[in-house]
Amino acid sequence: MFALVDVNNMYVSCERVFRPALNGKPVVVLSNNDGACIARSNEAKDLGVKMAQPWFEVKHLERSAGLIALSANFELYGDMSSRMMALAAGYAPRQEVYSIDECFLDFEGMSGDLAAIGRELRHQVLRWVGLPTSVGFGPTKTLAKLANHVAKMSDRKPGTYPERLAQVCDFERLAPAELDEVMRRTDVGDIWGIGRKTAPKLHEAGIRTVLDLKRADAATLGRQFSVVMQKTVRELQGTPCLEVDDDPPARQQIMCSRSFGDAVTELSDLIEVVSGFATRVARRLREQQGACNAVHVFIATSPHRKQDRQHSPTATLPLPRSTADTRALVNAAVMALRAIYKPGYRYVKAGVMLVELQSSKHEPTSLHLFDDVEEAQPDGRRNLMATLDALNERFGRDAVGIASASKRSAHSQHASRQERRSPRYTTRLDEIVVAKT
Amino acid sequence: MLRERATVSASTPRSRVAISFGSPAGESGVTRLDLNEILIRNPQAAFLVRIAGSAMREAGIDDGDLALVDRALDANHGQVVIAVHQNEFLCRRLCRRDEALGLQAPAPDVPDIWASEADNVDVWGVVTHVIKQVSG
Repeated sequence: MFALVDVNNMYVSCERVFRPALNGKPVVVLSNNDGACIARSNEAKDLGVKMAQPWFEVKHLERSAGLIALSANFELYGDMSSRMMALAAGYAPRQEVYSIDECFLDFEGMSGDLAAIGRELRHQVLRWVGLPTSVGFGPTKTLAKLANHVAKMSDRKPGTYPERLAQVCDFERLAPAELDEVMRRTDVGDIWGIGRKTAPKLHEAGIRTVLDLKRADAATLGRQFSVVMQKTVRELQGTPCLEVDDDPPARQQIMCSRSFGDAVTELSDLIEVVSGFATRVARRLREQQGACNAVHVFIATSPHRKQDRQHSPTATLPLPRSTADTRALVNAAVMALRAIYKPGYRYVKAGVMLVELQSSKHEPTSLHLFDDVEEAQPDGRRNLMATLDALNERFGRDAVGIASASKRSAHSQHASRQERRSPRYTTRLDEIVVAKT
Repeated sequence: MLRERATVSASTPRSRVAISFGSPAGESGVTRLDLNEILIRNPQAAFLVRIAGSAMREAGIDDGDLALVDRALDANHGQVVIAVHQNEFLCRRLCRRDEALGLQAPAPDVPDIWASEADNVDVWGVVTHVIKQVSG
């Protein structure tokens, strides 16, 4: 059994923990340049604000409907994410952090009332961290993701699905006919791994609902569309094709993480691992012609080794400008790692996630120029630096100067384009919550 | 460039609270006392809050103090809490009388606040420790 745990409207929910006045109000969070809406409260969704909609298109709602827009505060979101992930990890033998606001849990070998476990998890994250989540259970990752969708939608829009599926939804507890009915009410476009371009094609082929897709022939669709589609259909039919830590079929967020066979304690080893991850995600980012705005790094001790001291920190490093450059991303990931690493802990997992992806078409530099860098597997900090230094020598002093350049340009740029950013309540001592007496 | 940590966000207060005595003592396997471990029982639920105002002075909490807040704990009668009242964070002593929830301060001129349908009070977290700077 798999669970998908997902924070509702993550960025807005993070803001609301520290700004209670935002509760019940329409709120959007804007991308790096305050250009587009990358998160929306339910109230903002009800006003008709679309995902990724340019801010200028909805700005008029500020006056007419009291819409509140905030600049993205990735440091805050990254820290709140790490808290949520650390709590969720304690509930199952295996966890796959899938994006900044969602993770899969693999309950293989566990029995009992999973929905009750899900409610407990949900309650703990809400209470401890302040974030509302939805939890979906299913025998495959695709079904768990669908169950999560059902849990979220029935909470947000009562009547969409049976009320008892709200917040925590366990497909195993549904009779086959009930599950079919849920699938009949759900558009194929809401399925994990079916993109905006694929959904209309399926519609044309007469496959409108998830139930239609489940009843389709996997092999035929596989030939018509892709191997991914074939897997998706099999997963809907209940046959697991994706394991935890398998590459997800869709890449809205790019993430690379692994659990280690043996615990790692040395910084140099972690740098090697994290550099490798950053190199891989950078390559994937360029494959989809994307660029990202922040790098999120986490390392974790094992919550199941109670005898070990626990330390599962994360860091999110906002980038001065969106990029897909391997050097900038490796650099940022290692910086973040150095800030969170503490000696004396047995780390069993690490990951690098690229946050806030966007199309790179406005990215001025050539993205493929430095691809050869990727083949260099940095062997610890010295080799990493040597690699970067060699690059510097080869391509000019500013080539690798992303992080230091950020210092120079960050102040001027951030000042103008993050006008609406709230304080970084959990990562900067001079920005913490103030309580009056 | 890797030294510029000012732009890096570390995550949990555990790794950020700048009050640690130091790092582990290396190969001996013995580690120094770590204030994070001493003070923070639930790292994922731990938050730092700055106190503003003197209404809680008699309770040992003064203007400028750092309050360590644990959101995992049940808020009991008599405990100091961070509450949300009229959308603002307020540090008060919690008072439970039957079903009613009240917020009190020891300063004589500060009126009690009692939760009602119209005037909601939410307990955000329980203050477990207060950190005061006395010199330096």
